[in-house]
Amino acid sequence: MLFMFKTTHFKRDFNRWSIFLLAIVFFIALPIIAIFIKLFGGPGETWSHLVKNVLTSYVGNSLYLIIVCGFLTVLFGVSSAWFVSRYKFPFQKYLEWLLILPLAIPSYITAYAFAGFFDYGGSLELLLKQIAIQIPKMDIMNIHGLALILSVSLYPYVYVASRAFFLHQSANLIEVSKLLGVGEFKTFFKLLLPMARPAIVGGLVLVLMEVLNDYGAAKYFGVSTFTTGIFRSWFALEEPETAVYLAALLVAIIFGLLLLEKYQRRKISYSNSVKSERKQEKIVLPKGQKWLVFSWVSVPVFLGFLLPVSQLIYWATLTYEEVFTSEFFTTAFQSLGIAILAAIGTVLIAICLIYFTKWNRIPFIGNLSKISVLGYAIPGAVIAVGVMIPTLALDKWMIGVAKNFTSESIGLIINGSIIGLTYAYIVRFLAVAYNPIEATSLKIGNALPESSNMLGIGNIRTFFKVEFPLLKKGILSAMLLVFVDVMKELPLTLILKPYSVQTLAVKAYEFASDELIMEASIPSLFIIFTGILPVIFLNKLIID
Amino acid sequence: MEILQIKKLSKSFDGGKTNVLNEIDFSIAKGSIVSFVGESGSGKTTLIRMIAGLERSDAGEIYLNNNLVSSDRTFVKPEKRNIGMVFQEYALFPHMTVAKNIAYGLHKDKKEAKNRIAEVLDLVGLNGFEERYPHELSGGQQQRVALARAIAPKPELLILDEPFSNLDAMLRIQLRNEIFEIVKKTGITAIFVTHDTQDALAVSDEILILKHGNLIQKADAETLYKVPKNLYVASLFGEVVSLKKDVLAQFHFKAEENKEYAIRNKNLKLSVEVSFKSQAKIENTTFLGENYQLKLVLNDENFFQVYSKEKLDTETVFVGFEEKDLLVF
Repeated sequence: MLFMFKTTHFKRDFNRWSIFLLAIVFFIALPIIAIFIKLFGGPGETWSHLVKNVLTSYVGNSLYLIIVCGFLTVLFGVSSAWFVSRYKFPFQKYLEWLLILPLAIPSYITAYAFAGFFDYGGSLELLLKQIAIQIPKMDIMNIHGLALILSVSLYPYVYVASRAFFLHQSANLIEVSKLLGVGEFKTFFKLLLPMARPAIVGGLVLVLMEVLNDYGAAKYFGVSTFTTGIFRSWFALEEPETAVYLAALLVAIIFGLLLLEKYQRRKISYSNSVKSERKQEKIVLPKGQKWLVFSWVSVPVFLGFLLPVSQLIYWATLTYEEVFTSEFFTTAFQSLGIAILAAIGTVLIAICLIYFTKWNRIPFIGNLSKISVLGYAIPGAVIAVGVMIPTLALDKWMIGVAKNFTSESIGLIINGSIIGLTYAYIVRFLAVAYNPIEATSLKIGNALPESSNMLGIGNIRTFFKVEFPLLKKGILSAMLLVFVDVMKELPLTLILKPYSVQTLAVKAYEFASDELIMEASIPSLFIIFTGILPVIFLNKLIID
Repeated sequence: MEILQIKKLSKSFDGGKTNVLNEIDFSIAKGSIVSFVGESGSGKTTLIRMIAGLERSDAGEIYLNNNLVSSDRTFVKPEKRNIGMVFQEYALFPHMTVAKNIAYGLHKDKKEAKNRIAEVLDLVGLNGFEERYPHELSGGQQQRVALARAIAPKPELLILDEPFSNLDAMLRIQLRNEIFEIVKKTGITAIFVTHDTQDALAVSDEILILKHGNLIQKADAETLYKVPKNLYVASLFGEVVSLKKDVLAQFHFKAEENKEYAIRNKNLKLSVEVSFKSQAKIENTTFLGENYQLKLVLNDENFFQVYSKEKLDTETVFVGFEEKDLLVF
């Protein structure tokens, strides 16, 4: 009955936007579809060997990282969010935004800096030597060190999510709790923490995605994870089939995590119900306590930002003469160019996705569009593999066609080109652009475009005359966020970038792999610098 | 001549679970002002959105000027329907001046457009506001700009979607009268959506009562008031009390079978000189400023609210009515 119902209006309601929307969804989902289809081709020769010998260590290591990073990021993120939003203590205002800054540093760069700091003959040893202290060698280049590094560079996701909750949603609740005679400690653990859980888990899921996405840090520390496994089987063992199987397994794990997150949110839906406009007064802490709180909150800032940046600046002073060559500036220029290109492309697709969905009249097709923002959950290495499969196939087909018709031999056109790379960035970062633009579009509401329609103006002209001018802010922030993410991106870029093109992230990675870790500092600092601006911008968005 | 015809129009949401409109049938004559009255959830907003082309029907047909604009197979886009609309939240384009807002729907050359802008601004009494931005205007001024923008392209039909619901009571009555004076001056056919019966009574030639997606009654104000189709319609125009057969018997009125009776509270008379009367006990008295509200008990179980200009000090009182004041359904 329902189905018949729908088909009666199909002819009336199916429009060109439905077709365009389907095309975009297909374009974005293609890499995952390709991986899925490839699965039926069977695994490679080494798969059974891999299952027997290393798969348990991939799973074990990834699980260990998930658990330890999950625990540490929640500990750092939630506690510091609570302290800065509830109490007044020294430098609290500065710490409030300093706590977000580790987001500006990609975790592989933090890993390089930590290695240099704690290594034999590293900065820590040199510093202590100055005051005649000798310490035993500290080895952090193992899975425990990796867990710590990932935690101090990723905790801001939890911090940002829980601080938004503490700032905007708890004022009334705290007052009610206080009036009922409940103390500070109990108010936090019994009332606020359970209520903040959906927000915290939301941030935590982002942390875990990034943990599973990490390639550079794990590679440098010699820890085998799914991502390093994908690289090894594709490039060292030259077995794409095996890489595809690993990628599919990783995607399955991630969708499992996403489902868990959805499940916990479904059960608790009250988190957004009480948004209070008023901000509560911060409590001034007594002398002893305020320095204690200050020290606690400083730890993640120090480990996640100050230490790596200082180490990199120190290295930069030693190496700038060799690194600042024309080649470096070419790299920086190429990096910026690619990031801008990807940002524009991603924002364009995001706008199309949002508005085609609005203009499409078939609900079933509209629901499909939600799939296309899942790319952010899928690790860069997996997307790279997924992009390789169809682009290689397309190139092979074109080579064949060219041979048949013109008897000329052409090379790979899309694979290993800037087109393939940009395509992969769009798939991966679409959600980053989608969210701020969609939020702005929701704010504009339906009445404005509808009244434009009523005045005789169609959808496209309405978009350019009414919606676009009002969307500018959202579009700008979307571009900025994608730009920074592309600047930092490593695994996907490593696999897909054209030979002639170099990015700062890849340059830093290559320096580090070639035992030239000091030289990696300058490209790293450059990446960090471009990353700091939007982080501050993000902070402003939360406070407003 | 009929400008709008609606035939068996239906719409449901959630895949058929919630019926918003149920086979609605009616038509509107050219040049008239028709009010759609209903509570929230009555379907009145969905109905006008379908007329405007902002929503699609599940079944039924809509004709504008005898042209089919919506059916199972046909759909004319909103921008092609030549309907003007004033939105509840005004929906002025915030990044455009008043003049640009009005010019937006005018697909004419510059000079003609300029003349038309001056014309409609004159009509709504806002000359000299051309270069202001919407945020520089008061609520009432924004409302009038919204009206000017909607009528500037000379639409065949004007829809006003709860245009006064964001205003406080005083301003609302004043603005309502102003706006409809303008509408009447232009002679345009208008649909006025409201949940306020008083608004509808004040301005419309015809009123359409909607409830739970059904069209209950469509008539002019006087008919609706005097011959309401049911208790719900009657209750929209003031307090009504339903009278069951045994109660009517108390008043010595012989009720017909298969008929329901009700009466407006204000038509209940505190007097012995009416045709049908009964003695009642005064349970309590509340002073309301202009008059007293009495709660009367008839036969220990039936209550009435009756109004009296003077305070009554007796314990019992005669209450009754005339037959012509009875509402019969």
